[in-house]
Amino acid sequence: MKARLLAITVAVLVFVPAALSATYAGGHVKKANAGTTIVVYASGDVNVQNLWQNNIIPHFEKANKGIYVKFIFSEHGTDDGTTLARIGAAVKGRHWPGIDLVDGGLVTTLALAGLNQPVSKATAANVKKVNPDLLAPVKGAAIPYRGSSVVLAYNSDKVSSPPRTLSALLDWIRANPGKFTYNSPNTGGSGYSFAETVVDSLLSPAILKQMDQGYDPSLQSNWKPGLDLLHSLNKYMYGNGVYPNGNAAVLQLLGQGQIWVAPVWSDQSLTALKTGQLGPNIKLTQISNPSFTGGAAYLAVPKTARHKKVLYKFVNYILSPAAQQMIVDVMAGFPAIDIKYMGDSIKQKFQDVSANTLRPTYQTKMGNDFKAAWQQSVP
Amino acid sequence: MVLPPVAVVAVFIGLPVGAAIAYTLGKTGGPNSTVALFAQRQHVAHHGVTLGAYREVLGNAHVRTDLWATVWVTLVTVVCVVLLSWAIGLYLRLSDTWIARVVSALSVVPLFIPVVIASYAILTFYAATGFMKTLAYHVGWHSFPTLGYTLTAVVIGEVWVNVPFGVLMMSSGLNSVPNALIEAARDSGASLPRTVRSVLLPMNVIPTVIVATFTGIYVLGSFTVPYLTGPSAPNLMGVSMQQFFGSFNQPQQAEVMAMIVFVLAAGIGTIYVWANVRASKRASSTT
Repeated sequence: MKARLLAITVAVLVFVPAALSATYAGGHVKKANAGTTIVVYASGDVNVQNLWQNNIIPHFEKANKGIYVKFIFSEHGTDDGTTLARIGAAVKGRHWPGIDLVDGGLVTTLALAGLNQPVSKATAANVKKVNPDLLAPVKGAAIPYRGSSVVLAYNSDKVSSPPRTLSALLDWIRANPGKFTYNSPNTGGSGYSFAETVVDSLLSPAILKQMDQGYDPSLQSNWKPGLDLLHSLNKYMYGNGVYPNGNAAVLQLLGQGQIWVAPVWSDQSLTALKTGQLGPNIKLTQISNPSFTGGAAYLAVPKTARHKKVLYKFVNYILSPAAQQMIVDVMAGFPAIDIKYMGDSIKQKFQDVSANTLRPTYQTKMGNDFKAAWQQSVP
Repeated sequence: MVLPPVAVVAVFIGLPVGAAIAYTLGKTGGPNSTVALFAQRQHVAHHGVTLGAYREVLGNAHVRTDLWATVWVTLVTVVCVVLLSWAIGLYLRLSDTWIARVVSALSVVPLFIPVVIASYAILTFYAATGFMKTLAYHVGWHSFPTLGYTLTAVVIGEVWVNVPFGVLMMSSGLNSVPNALIEAARDSGASLPRTVRSVLLPMNVIPTVIVATFTGIYVLGSFTVPYLTGPSAPNLMGVSMQQFFGSFNQPQQAEVMAMIVFVLAAGIGTIYVWANVRASKRASSTT
């Protein structure tokens, strides 16, 4: 009796997922008969989901009858690990991975592992409008489609004239102990950007360029002076050296008035200001010399993606001025194509911080090692 | 008869564990080839096995600090949970007032609150602007410590999460001690502390061991509470493992750390098994 029960349990465990995936594939085939379906996987916060689901995809489907876009979203990238393994295994075995276009942090990893279709093979005309410098860190195997930058947020009730340069910011931190912090670099890009910017300010431009474009562990000894400088700031940080986990935790401290100045993502903080998570007393500014790093978000086309011709039609649409305008409007992001192709209002808005002048960050693998180095020498 | 469950365990647990052990020893082929494709700073064994990954992880002073932090947070949590759940269990066993019933209901409330919510609540409660600090300030204690983002906050969180299970185990264990035994001890002149020491304590050893070992194993591998309430460094192994696996893209090192935690947990598990074997031996000798 028991054995039968267990046998049934095993059968259920094995066959239910199989049956489910079969119906999933079946549904896919059904739609494909009526037209072509491309599958998009994206990960990130709800603003990314909103961009795809409510803006780019419906507009594209409306303009291109017969093409369907199936959207898979992973909130905060919780499925990135399994998706990475799935695409990796499929491309190696020359199968279709079930995903045709990827947006998320895993894209650069895929690009460096050589699993993506090179951008040079893309049949999308608008790809030529993106800044070619953005292709170098991903070995020309991923397509930048939007940018966002890190800015300095400050509480205008407490800080009347915010620091405008990095050295002024460091002086401010020392003069106002406990009123500044950044999230630990391995938990979010805003804290990462601050840490990298401080370290970069002590590097020669040649070494910095090498770090932005390739992976060379022998260069990493150059980080030492910058990391030592960051370590010396511990006693001036909020709570004598507290580095909260995640970009959102810093926004929370800022909103509660526990800290007065912090590096934050431009798009995330603009959304927080809109929803009231941050009060109207919080203002944003950019520092210079050097400025905070910005980041491009990339799209990947796995080598074994299907319907490549239709797929690149979609990519071409994403890089069109109309879709890039949605990125600016919906998520306060930066356009990835050169702003000379955008409308006049955008040209004015981004004349200070256009996608071209967004300071690049370290190449992905270099960045991973930088996070590890920070974790081991700063807190 | 036993084949199906054995097969399930072998396929869904044995195989991945075997592959992970092979990966920590530098075997990057077969089932490990996909993870090895992306990972950086790997130790690869071309012939035989290599202990390079173990040497690197154990030689890393920061990992060792995290390991010690994990061990002492686990020990302190286990002691606190055992003492608290014993105290509450005993109070419920010996008292039948409405207060006791309210306490028993309150003590299991954390069971129904998601750990993420609880962690954020603890963080806010003990923050620099939190309730505790404000209260202490108003009664004149101006130097009350800010506990958010410290290992103390992690201990508070872990105790909070584990106490309900402890209380349930202890009170059911203590309830199974017959009233006749307690009354007999009291009738022959034993004081209440003496009754607890000589009757209730020896009859409640197994639940105590279960609470201590399960809490210990849970805290060793916990992630959410230390991630949200703990400091940047040192923190518990669960958080470091996640950092190495996700942020630093060093899955091999993360798996080595998992092996270390596994060995510690297996050590705790041995205590549990030993206590059970001893109890069943004793039970069979008395009957």
